[in-house]
Amino acid sequence: MANGYRIGVDIGGTFTDLVLLEEGTGRLVNEKVLTTPHDPEQAVLSGVASILAKAGVAARDALPVIHGTTLVANALIERKGVKVALVTTAGFRDVLEIGKEWRYDIYDLSIRVPEPLVPRALRFEVGERMLADGTVRAALDEAGMRKVAAAIAASGVGAVAICFLHAYANDAHERRAEAILREVAPGLRITRASALVPELGEYERASTAVANAYVQPVFDAYVQRLEEGLQKGGLTRGLYLMLSDGGTVTAEAARAFPIRLVQSGPAGGAQAAALFGALASERRVMAFDMGGTTAKACLIEDGEPDRAVEFEVARVFRFKRGSGLPLKVPVADMIEIGAGGGSIARIDRLGLVQVGPDSSGSDPGPACYGLGGTLPTVSDADLMLGYLDAGSFLGGDMVLKRELAEQALAEHLGKPLGMSAAEAAWAIHETVNEAMAQAASIHALEKAKRVSDYALVALGGAGPVHACHVARKMGVKRVIAPLGAGVASALGMLAAPTAFAIGRAQVAALSALDLKATAAMLGALEQEGRDLVAGAGVPAAAVAVRRTCLMRYAGQGHEVEAAVPDAFIAAGDRAALAESFASAYRALYGRTESAEPETVSWRVVVSGPRPRIDLAAAPRPAGGSRRVKGERPCWVAGQGFVPAAVIDRYALGPGDVVEGPALVEEREATLVLPPGARARCDAALSLIIDL
Amino acid sequence: MADGIGTLAVGLLWQRMTGLMDEVAHTFVRTSFSSVVRENWDLAVGLMDARGRQFAQSTRSVPSFNATMPKTLGHMLARLPAASLKPGDVLITNDSWFGTGHLNDITMMAPLFRDGRLFAFVGSVAHTVDVGGAPRPEAADSYEEGLTIPPMHIRRAGADNQELFDLLYANLREPDETIGDLRAQFAAYRIAEERLNRILAEEGITDLAPLVDEICDRSERAMRAALSAVPDGTYRDTLDIDGFDAPLKLCCAVTIKDGTITVDYAGTSAQIDRPVNSPMSFTAAYTAYAVKCLFDPNGPNNDGVFRPFRVTAPDGTLVNPRRPAPVWGRHLTGHYLPPAVLGALAPVLPDRVIADCGSPLWNVYFRGLDRRGKRFVKMYFMNGGHGARADGDGPGCLSFPSNVAAQSVEQFEHQVPMLVEEKSFIADSGGNGRYRGGHGQRMSFRSLSATPLTATYRHERVLFPPRGLLGGAPGAPGREYLNGERLPSKTRVTLKAEDLIVFETPGGGGFGNPAERSAEALAGDRASGLVGTTKAAE
Repeated sequence: MANGYRIGVDIGGTFTDLVLLEEGTGRLVNEKVLTTPHDPEQAVLSGVASILAKAGVAARDALPVIHGTTLVANALIERKGVKVALVTTAGFRDVLEIGKEWRYDIYDLSIRVPEPLVPRALRFEVGERMLADGTVRAALDEAGMRKVAAAIAASGVGAVAICFLHAYANDAHERRAEAILREVAPGLRITRASALVPELGEYERASTAVANAYVQPVFDAYVQRLEEGLQKGGLTRGLYLMLSDGGTVTAEAARAFPIRLVQSGPAGGAQAAALFGALASERRVMAFDMGGTTAKACLIEDGEPDRAVEFEVARVFRFKRGSGLPLKVPVADMIEIGAGGGSIARIDRLGLVQVGPDSSGSDPGPACYGLGGTLPTVSDADLMLGYLDAGSFLGGDMVLKRELAEQALAEHLGKPLGMSAAEAAWAIHETVNEAMAQAASIHALEKAKRVSDYALVALGGAGPVHACHVARKMGVKRVIAPLGAGVASALGMLAAPTAFAIGRAQVAALSALDLKATAAMLGALEQEGRDLVAGAGVPAAAVAVRRTCLMRYAGQGHEVEAAVPDAFIAAGDRAALAESFASAYRALYGRTESAEPETVSWRVVVSGPRPRIDLAAAPRPAGGSRRVKGERPCWVAGQGFVPAAVIDRYALGPGDVVEGPALVEEREATLVLPPGARARCDAALSLIIDL
Repeated sequence: MADGIGTLAVGLLWQRMTGLMDEVAHTFVRTSFSSVVRENWDLAVGLMDARGRQFAQSTRSVPSFNATMPKTLGHMLARLPAASLKPGDVLITNDSWFGTGHLNDITMMAPLFRDGRLFAFVGSVAHTVDVGGAPRPEAADSYEEGLTIPPMHIRRAGADNQELFDLLYANLREPDETIGDLRAQFAAYRIAEERLNRILAEEGITDLAPLVDEICDRSERAMRAALSAVPDGTYRDTLDIDGFDAPLKLCCAVTIKDGTITVDYAGTSAQIDRPVNSPMSFTAAYTAYAVKCLFDPNGPNNDGVFRPFRVTAPDGTLVNPRRPAPVWGRHLTGHYLPPAVLGALAPVLPDRVIADCGSPLWNVYFRGLDRRGKRFVKMYFMNGGHGARADGDGPGCLSFPSNVAAQSVEQFEHQVPMLVEEKSFIADSGGNGRYRGGHGQRMSFRSLSATPLTATYRHERVLFPPRGLLGGAPGAPGREYLNGERLPSKTRVTLKAEDLIVFETPGGGGFGNPAERSAEALAGDRASGLVGTTKAAE
């Protein structure tokens, strides 16, 4: 595969980032084009053409394009999917709207709950019933199903979801209902809930299935336009997409269950952090991605981002857990809080400083943009504190107005609290850092991990400004600041292996498990995965298989993911699986229970090799010749303004060392290096900062 | 702490304490054994300083528990003085008058030590399905309702109080589940102690008191400011309660004066020999909750918030019963308190109040033998419709004033030999109005058990439906049926195989004149098929 080229593409809110990698040499070429929100594929296609030209590569030499997209999440957040119908077991069509019945905010009398994606008039019921063990209580009412199918055909919907009770245990009725729908209402896209989520929990399963149906036609059309465009441009090696858990799949596979791409874009950032962590020889890293409106954190161990089995999208209230639509989708497990450069600061009723979760967005934006914003934001604070430079923001393309920031800070926080504008700025900076540090720490602790065992990888436009201060709050000793943090997600797309995760529910006591049938089922899942990976061009010898089982003690309702040991597969060793579960449980909770273990669902992940990316071999970007560009005062905790050297990031080479306090500037980001911190440039041009 | 950096430090520390409580709650829930904790989150976790003042609690918690915890701690310390406590101790009680108002909520408190000195308490309250006894709707005194654990040690210096465990095993129907939950909380307390000690070490804090003073003082000032914005005066409301043998009356007078608020329940019916009496702890908790919702919904919940607040009720009434009144279903009275406070203040705060919700909370206990022949007790919650508000319809089936989540039907059917045949909105159950009340739900349970099962429940809002507000119509009353025949609203029934028991929860009240409902909202009503489709609509 000498001199193959791969292209990673990440569509952001403002820019579409592209990275081209020359395999073998490790040469990287970056490109940035304006996102085209109405036809996102236009930016991808023009970006691909332009990056090929820039790199001097012919289209026919390019390997697949690997793409992460926020299209699915945006369609759900902005409610821009298609009209969907839902078919449920008779008596249960309102489950989708009733939801979990609890209030995410106990003191809000005017609480808002998210509107269901399918209005009641389009929720249909059909007679049928499975019992919990998968036996048939009532046969499918075929005549009734035909009537429902006819009504759906006449309703003008673009897609249908089917969700029957206990279909994860026996999907015969769901399959038959699908067949009748295809016959009576041909041409509709159909999502069978038990095929998408073979797990217990009727509300979450229906919610996921409906969300899939809702975005599917939109996603289909987009992928088709993109594929056609790439073909036309001579890129014949196809298109790959990044799933929410960081695996990549063929466009064809992605189209079956597009809801699995709901976190596709952010997963690229996690993969990038995994890559930079590996290059810096760090086993455990935390991706810390801070942008304009939110900050995200994701734990990564041995190159694998932590995974979760559910996710909540389109929260209607202040990013609050419980206020969104639940999705049972494998995702890179991230927390997201409403804290970004544009987050607005104010004084709350207790006279304390509160930052976010609302954001000034890009219009009017922070006060310092001079576009009419008058409320102080995190970016205003960072400018006031000297962390950002008025003249070199976005390489000088946008001149920030310090006097407007100062005015906003003084008027809304400083005067009422009896502080100077700079002290108010520091209060904002500290408050938002505390919020992020706390959210990230709790996220780690929920997984029985200590955030202080991790190195932090600073990503996003605001990430490098805040990373060192946030790290110190969490007791983190090392920060990795990669070059080009702004295009890191696109690079992350290239760093991810081809991978498929396939699951199957099976609630059973471990002692009563049918070992033969289980082994056969796991074998079938593995074969299915191997076929998919082979179809993506991965040689059989390079395939890795990981089997896990979601387990719990009888009587519990939350599961723990246990690795399925080889001894269980090969010899049916129940004790080995019990021990694997016990050790996973102990790692999370520090103890085990005396109750009997149960299996809940099985998961097989079949993956190709992780692509090798050797940034050390990459030619250095053309940069400045003078290391120190100048000096400016920047705020230091407990000292106030202190002069700090301003370093040109592009003038730093491997082995170079920068001591804090210093500000290291590149086009899209500024790294704030506090006193006592020492940054060393490694072979991949990442700055490795010891705090 | 009056300077700017002090302001900053207070804000940051309070953020961290709340985060810590969330962490403790999550740890508990994920290791618990009962679905009432795991799926319904019928619990709360709180942090108190050495003097017993509460200053942080878990974000997602049952509102009344937040208010009872510090009071329960006070009762514990009255018997077991703080000076006698040792590291690794855990105190417990479920006394109805000291705790949350009924035996089924167990409160535990662990003293936290730093350098050998007690500096805080972490506590939690969690519902347990069974506490022994013969709880039934006819219970005439609290002794029938189960085992009372007076304040005592459940752990001493890190070791189990084995005698208490033996007593629990001998008296509970589901000891593994209940005790599994208790142990899950012990583990959660350890995390709280370790983390809190780390935070204090990092911040160089040796004494929590100045921080608690500062947070509580700020909260008190904010609360007084909010109360001062309401014209001084006494505002009243009276509510009819279904009761057992005869309807009961709840009288509520809210007096706002100089930035303080007093809620008095004089005139309320006398206590009755049925398990619906609400001990003062529960009465105070739900009254405080309504006050917090109205005047300080976004601030922290702590001792300071409630300094300008008083609640009074004559001795021997439904809302302040004497021992040994039966109190098992005290929510059947207590859940009426928020609507009474909101109703009283509706004329002066029309933009903030909501119409009555379809509560007191509806639930049912099923008992019998499971598929393996093992005895089970299973509680299932069903929420009614939410009341409409000044700016919108009430959501359907949403918990209020409690905050109890619904359990998955599939999960339920895995645990119990029953079939749920329906869980859906009831047409025309939401009260009409400019803004419509949320709909109630119909839940149908069929027994698939070869041996008889029992269903025990006590429901309200069957006689007197949730009221509308400021011109809005009432929601539909609740109903119960066995094989199509109406059942009493508070009873225990036996279900034979294939018997069908159906519950219809009440709908929320409407808000404002129905004639002012917008054309768009009316079109939505029609499209939903939930409005104007039944006889009730005519």
